[in-house]
Amino acid sequence: MSTDGSLSGKRFIVPIGPQHPALKEPGHFSFTVDGEVVTDASVRLGYAHRGIEKATESRNWTQSLYLLERICGICSHVHALAYCLGVEKLAGVEVPPRAQAIRVLVAELERIHSHFLWLGVAAHEAGFDTLFMYTWRDRETVMDILETLTGNRVNYSANVLGGVKFDVMPEIGDTIRRGLEFLEGRTHHYLEVVTTDQVFLQRTRGVGVMSLEQAETLGVVGPTARASGVIRDIRVEAPYAAYADYPVQPVLAEAGDLEARFIVRIKELFESYRIIRQILDTLPVGELQTRMPRRVKAGETVSRVEAPRGELFYFIKSNGTDNPERVKVRTPTLCNMASVLVTAVGHQLADMPMILAGIDPCFSCNDRTVVVADAGGAAYNWEQIRHYGIAFYQGK
Amino acid sequence: MKIGSMLVDTLRSFFQKPVTQLYPFERQKTPERLRGKLHWDSSNCSGCCLCVKDCPSEAIEIITIDKQAKKFVMRYHADRCTYCGQCVKNCRFACIGMSSEDWELAAQTTAPFTIYYGEETDLEHLLERVPEPAAG
Repeated sequence: MSTDGSLSGKRFIVPIGPQHPALKEPGHFSFTVDGEVVTDASVRLGYAHRGIEKATESRNWTQSLYLLERICGICSHVHALAYCLGVEKLAGVEVPPRAQAIRVLVAELERIHSHFLWLGVAAHEAGFDTLFMYTWRDRETVMDILETLTGNRVNYSANVLGGVKFDVMPEIGDTIRRGLEFLEGRTHHYLEVVTTDQVFLQRTRGVGVMSLEQAETLGVVGPTARASGVIRDIRVEAPYAAYADYPVQPVLAEAGDLEARFIVRIKELFESYRIIRQILDTLPVGELQTRMPRRVKAGETVSRVEAPRGELFYFIKSNGTDNPERVKVRTPTLCNMASVLVTAVGHQLADMPMILAGIDPCFSCNDRTVVVADAGGAAYNWEQIRHYGIAFYQGK
Repeated sequence: MKIGSMLVDTLRSFFQKPVTQLYPFERQKTPERLRGKLHWDSSNCSGCCLCVKDCPSEAIEIITIDKQAKKFVMRYHADRCTYCGQCVKNCRFACIGMSSEDWELAAQTTAPFTIYYGEETDLEHLLERVPEPAAG
């Protein structure tokens, strides 16, 4: 705890992070407190910057796909999907409907796994470790499904430019249906737990309230926005891949507090189950992949998808060669981070981990900006940046 | 409003087998599509090197022994491999496959991660000629 010099020790600023037991990823927060109550908050990000955008420029279109898929360990598929949709749009390639449906299928399975993971993490931050343990046990069901379907638990590599890698056989469809049946029962149970457990509700009801106006002003996205009553879902607003054929009903809540965020995410699980079943029942027949040129026509495009945490934005620019000229990624955590600072004010310091967990933050996903002040206007290539970095740290 | 809403779950668990797997004593059957160690069959390789070009982690090297006779050797770096399966997709002659059985690849030294595939005679010829690659 450090004192703020200007007010002769009456105001305290509590620094949390970048390394802190409450946060699993590096991010620095400064909470100004009056006793136990937070009166001001600020955040500093950028501790997990990895230079992925720059690295895509020295890799070809296919190699970049796998690099971008590794931006996030939880929502890896949506990154690959956003990139693929953008590159296919640039190249003017039409992806077969069966491949698009399989992409949506994997995206929804991933949403289930991400929401279960979040439910566990948020419960853990609230001190409700029983809920944490059981949700993560149940999450294994969907992880096993993903492994059976795609061949890996985390980085599924389901996409290739121009389609998908694998087909969904009827027997795998049955495995998915069995898994969903179990998960659906458990989800009903968890919805009841988070809406009726008295102790847990004291940590969530009325905590971190964000009104509809605030949500719109701050530009929050995903379940965080929907918990405040804002209909903001890319799957609904601008259906991509096969979402036009499998329409999504957005799940909304009015309260805008932590409880509402729990309810929205859990109810979204039911929506995902419904979409997956619908896809399995009416999977279009056809090819899995179309031919993709190695060189993509010059041009630029924007590609948006709905990640489990909200809108994921890709800007892709091609100069007609094998490699992308520029790939810009904006992840939902960056949009939602401001809401933490606003809703934190007036709450107890002990509520901060819960309020932060409420937006489902993913720090290393959103750390992506680098400012090289004395570059002298010259553009660096990957190797030059490496040498610059080494020289910079040696000079320190 | 109630208290102890997860109590039933915990009590029921007293009478259930632990969910934790006793690996390595008990092994779960791996899914058929699991992407494990890469395997290469040299007989159909045309030396087009599409697998090398699209590998995101530079894990594959195709070394030409005799271009006319289509003799190639693959040097595969299992430690660099990200197991994405793009090479399998790229290969038009189905030379590359990923094993669903061979996935326990941890080792205490780096030596087992450099794997050579190809005809015995070609490999002998290569190992005499080409020095070991530098680490990394």
